[in-house]
Amino acid sequence: MSQRAVLSIDHLSISFGGLKALDDLSFTIFDQEIFGLIGPNGAGKTTVFNCVTQFYRPDAGDVFLTVDQSRLPSRDRHLADQLGQARLNLVGRPVHSIIKLGLARTFQNVEVVKELSLLDNVLVGGHVDFQATMAEQIFRLPRARREEKVYRAKAMAALDFLGIGRLADQLAGGQPYGVLKKLEMARTLMAQPRLIILDEPAAGLNDFETEDLAQTIRAIRDQYGCAVWLVEHDMRLVMNVCERICAISFGKFLALGAPAEIQGDKLVQEAYLGEQE
Amino acid sequence: MSTSSTRTARPLSSVLKPARNAHVQFLVFGALLCLLPVLAQAGGLRNSTLSTLAFVLIYAIVALGLNLLLGYSGLISLGTAGFVGLGAYLAAYFQDDLRLGFWLALLAALVLPTLIGLLVGVVSLRVRSIYLAIASLCISEILLKTFEQLEWFTRGTAGKQSKYPVVFGLQTDRATMFVIIVIALVVVMMVTHNTVHGQLGRALHTMRSSEVAAQAMGVNVLKYKLFAFSLATLYAGLGGALYLFFLRSSYPSTWNLFMSLNIIAMVVVGGLRSIFGTVAGAFVIFAVPELVLKKLPVIGDVAGLPYIFSGVLIVVVIMFFPAGLKGLADLVRRPFQRLRGDRGEAGPPAARPPDSDRPSPPGAGRAAADQTAVKEGRPA
Repeated sequence: MSQRAVLSIDHLSISFGGLKALDDLSFTIFDQEIFGLIGPNGAGKTTVFNCVTQFYRPDAGDVFLTVDQSRLPSRDRHLADQLGQARLNLVGRPVHSIIKLGLARTFQNVEVVKELSLLDNVLVGGHVDFQATMAEQIFRLPRARREEKVYRAKAMAALDFLGIGRLADQLAGGQPYGVLKKLEMARTLMAQPRLIILDEPAAGLNDFETEDLAQTIRAIRDQYGCAVWLVEHDMRLVMNVCERICAISFGKFLALGAPAEIQGDKLVQEAYLGEQE
Repeated sequence: MSTSSTRTARPLSSVLKPARNAHVQFLVFGALLCLLPVLAQAGGLRNSTLSTLAFVLIYAIVALGLNLLLGYSGLISLGTAGFVGLGAYLAAYFQDDLRLGFWLALLAALVLPTLIGLLVGVVSLRVRSIYLAIASLCISEILLKTFEQLEWFTRGTAGKQSKYPVVFGLQTDRATMFVIIVIALVVVMMVTHNTVHGQLGRALHTMRSSEVAAQAMGVNVLKYKLFAFSLATLYAGLGGALYLFFLRSSYPSTWNLFMSLNIIAMVVVGGLRSIFGTVAGAFVIFAVPELVLKKLPVIGDVAGLPYIFSGVLIVVVIMFFPAGLKGLADLVRRPFQRLRGDRGEAGPPAARPPDSDRPSPPGAGRAAADQTAVKEGRPA
């Protein structure tokens, strides 16, 4: 297994008012790894990845993402190493520039456009790949038409891959929750990301769907060759699917290791069950 | 199981068909409208009715711009009338005062309001919802006051007089101006359709649905808000120019808040995110009071009848038909579609030809195909 880092979180801290939501947190996610971030309620899990995706600006610390040369913004081209990759600090970049660098996310409460078809929703994930200018699209010039066709096929492939291709033409509004969760994943695949962050993907799913989800996550990693980072409550899913797990509590690092190590870790047990008398 | 994927989606070759079909519909619609002036000349339609319909089409152009904002992008503007007025005065100024001809006057009425709209947008689009409505209302009121005071440009409350333009060396009249308005409307309908059915439209949709999700998908929210706002302003400027060329006069009092509200009513009554719906909405809001209500006994004499009419209609639509005329049309059409055995809703859509033109996901080999088949074999 390749041990190159895809994402390094480096001494990350952020406070809201007087509350330290993250306190000097560091960990690394490797290429093509399924990584889990766990912690009791209010541990700061969501805050971590909001800091990574730049929805929040951390007070201190850095977030480094390994970016392929082809995805580098022109002003960062010179940073590429001999392998054609560069480690970019995400901190301070605009939120909408992150997906272009190869980091895509889903939402805890599923954020899809109800009034669009599933296929169109997936196409939103390819937004940054479109080269045609606004004018070319308004007048439907050849490049705009060609791109639309290419990406439609790609979006269809993503839907097929997740087994919801037959619903492609239906509106997202009114679809069952499980389908919407898959739809969000298909949308991230559209961006061909190096790392996908899934925010509580098992929330609201039944046991059967959760089992299916585990398979889907592995399939995504295997077929699309990306790392998957789960931020999750559902212990069974995390223990089942993740290769390494990081546990945090009150914004502080607790433990990092294989599922079995985490389950046996004293600090983790205390955080979840309370200190033993 | 390899056949399972063939029934999953429509043929890719048909991807662009919807666009072409819609454009054909717009062209047919335009061609039919062009028959109206002929009908009027033959005596089958009153000239005053033709004029009313011309204004319906002009308002439809403006309302399509507002639909881009309100319907697709989720932005509300109360300042539409100000920009329509600006377009009208610019057209008059360039045609009659500077004598630069129809095309330059039209260009000025398109470009200058758009630039001003862009400028206003840069400042005001950082605020949300109700604050944007207030900001746009302020802009419109400032423009209205300017129209009243800037006499060298607008002749103030005395009103700016103009004349039918000369287009391609041809002196236009009521009938030819009507045709020009129809052409403009058809172009605007096509442009709007293209805009909302590609990457641009999806970005606007996503932005309306959730700004957070839009940003995560790489949509530069401010950029697309500005785009929607300036395109809407462009339509408003175009509507203003056509208004002036057709009516050949402009008074500041025309460009008041009532007109902006009326245009919102057209969008709401017609149906958000519907192109033909917007045109129908413009007809209902503008032509019905003019052509029908005013001729009724007793009711026709009530002062401010159009105000009452559009007000009541907005309330009724929002409470009982949130999808507007578009929703009503869908409701009527649905039983017929069932009769024809249209499988759009129930069954899977038409099967597509063999998978030759379908790319696999990157790095996907036979394993992926097997996997897909396996996954599809299970209930979702």
